Amino acid sequence: MSVQAATGTYSPAAAAAGDKRREKREELRRHLAEDADWPRADGRSFHDCRPAFMQTGPTTAASGSAYAEFGKTKVIVSVFGPRESKKAMMYSDVGRLNCNVSYTTFATPVRGQGADNKEYSSMLHKALEGAVMLHTFPKTTVDVFALVLESGGSDLPIIISCASLALADAGIMMYDLVTSVSVSCFRKNIIIDPTSDEEAWQDGSLVVAFMPARKEITQLTLTGEWSDSRITNAVELCMDACSKLSDILRDRLKDTATLTSE
Amino acid sequence: MVGLSEGEKHFIRGGIEQDIRTDGRRRLQFRALSVETGVIPQANGSARVRLGGTEIITSVKAELGKPSILHPDKGKVSIFVDCSPTAEPMFEGRGSEELSAELSVALQRCLLGGKSGAGAAIDLSSLIVVEGKVCWDLYIDGLVISSDGNLLDALAAAIKVALSDTGIPKVNVSLSAASDEEPEVDISDEEFLQFDTSSVPVIITLTKVGRHYIIDATSEEESQMSSAVSVSVNRHGQICGLTKRGGAGLDPSVIFDMISVAKHVSQQFISLLDSEIAAAEAEAAE
Repeated sequence: MSVQAATGTYSPAAAAAGDKRREKREELRRHLAEDADWPRADGRSFHDCRPAFMQTGPTTAASGSAYAEFGKTKVIVSVFGPRESKKAMMYSDVGRLNCNVSYTTFATPVRGQGADNKEYSSMLHKALEGAVMLHTFPKTTVDVFALVLESGGSDLPIIISCASLALADAGIMMYDLVTSVSVSCFRKNIIIDPTSDEEAWQDGSLVVAFMPARKEITQLTLTGEWSDSRITNAVELCMDACSKLSDILRDRLKDTATLTSE
Repeated sequence: MVGLSEGEKHFIRGGIEQDIRTDGRRRLQFRALSVETGVIPQANGSARVRLGGTEIITSVKAELGKPSILHPDKGKVSIFVDCSPTAEPMFEGRGSEELSAELSVALQRCLLGGKSGAGAAIDLSSLIVVEGKVCWDLYIDGLVISSDGNLLDALAAAIKVALSDTGIPKVNVSLSAASDEEPEVDISDEEFLQFDTSSVPVIITLTKVGRHYIIDATSEEESQMSSAVSVSVNRHGQICGLTKRGGAGLDPSVIFDMISVAKHVSQQFISLLDSEIAAAEAEAAE
């Protein structure tokens, strides 16, 4: 698309982009049918993650916020609070964590398709609640709002990692940073950090949310048919990737700390 | 919500520690299961399953529809769960929305397999009538009549029973029509095709209370859980889906251990369910 934009012509690019996408999809399907190793569309090997770009503080009104960009997937998370719980809420001697995930209408190739992922809010909540020290803010609520600007595959894991960075940026007490990585399986192959095209043809997927320093899994979901040993392999692969991602998160937090102290 | 005194909580936890739960069961023992098929005449298949105090009705309805453009050779299956306010007053109005959505998503994850259709419990290509034109849309609805814990396992069992009761009408397609026209279909109301349910998995939820985990927890026991892992296992011992509930994190080795326990328990549960289905069908035939 960018090449076409640079030439300055006014031809309808949407159809061409659609063709290209269809072509890519066909190519992936052909590779799957042959059941051979294939080069991934973005040139990664099966166990390579996309480069992670993360930054704290994109929004100023929030107590803490973070932006994450993994390939085409772009996510922004704001954390508000701890602030007073809604009046209708009953008294609670531990704090509440309120999570909400929304998609922009232009996040997906077909407009408004992101609304299909209604369960993400509760899955984000489950991934984070084990890590946040809820007893440190009794009677109050911390709101975590995630917005997916562009959906490019592995959305939920990126939302989880980005949300934990935003929580840390907001100074909410946590046992550990939560990072999350997903894998897709295609017959005998396991590929990490899938793109949306790969997700559309996967045989199964597995998402792990992990606290690397405590070595605890906070969330684990799996679809498709898996054997025992395969689950073990995939979970270990994810945990390793999670630990490495957590180092990146820690570096980002240190960056902002040095910036503010200067 | 379950209101429990300190003494009751202590009693429940102590019982689980000593392998005698409040209702006399051991940690890895199910409550009494009863199964009934064909309870809803309007549906293509239906079942009523009781697991202790939990009661579920599921219905399977088949309607003719159009396959999606992405998968022209496959039918469609949708699963919905509704929690009735008869089960618990808090399910009234929008109160059950979150729980219903969570259960529906968990069931879809366990029964429908991956995006490519691999590992699906229901063979979607068997639902096709005319490729790219006509297929069966299967609507599976679960209704929670009474809730006493372990809803997910009971729902999955009820769906398995309802599917085995399901008959899909035989369809005759007139081939005379030109290929670009809508084909004419004639639905037979006498001949039915039975569904192959041998690969439909069961779900085993392991609830962790203290250091131990239990199966088929009552709602009182569920209120004491730190976390729960629901594993869906098919007849061949393959894992078809996995969901974790509850806040606390789990050590990876504990999760692997839970998976292997779930696999072991599931094989007993599948054979129990099979014999119950056979008994229920024999009764319905009489």
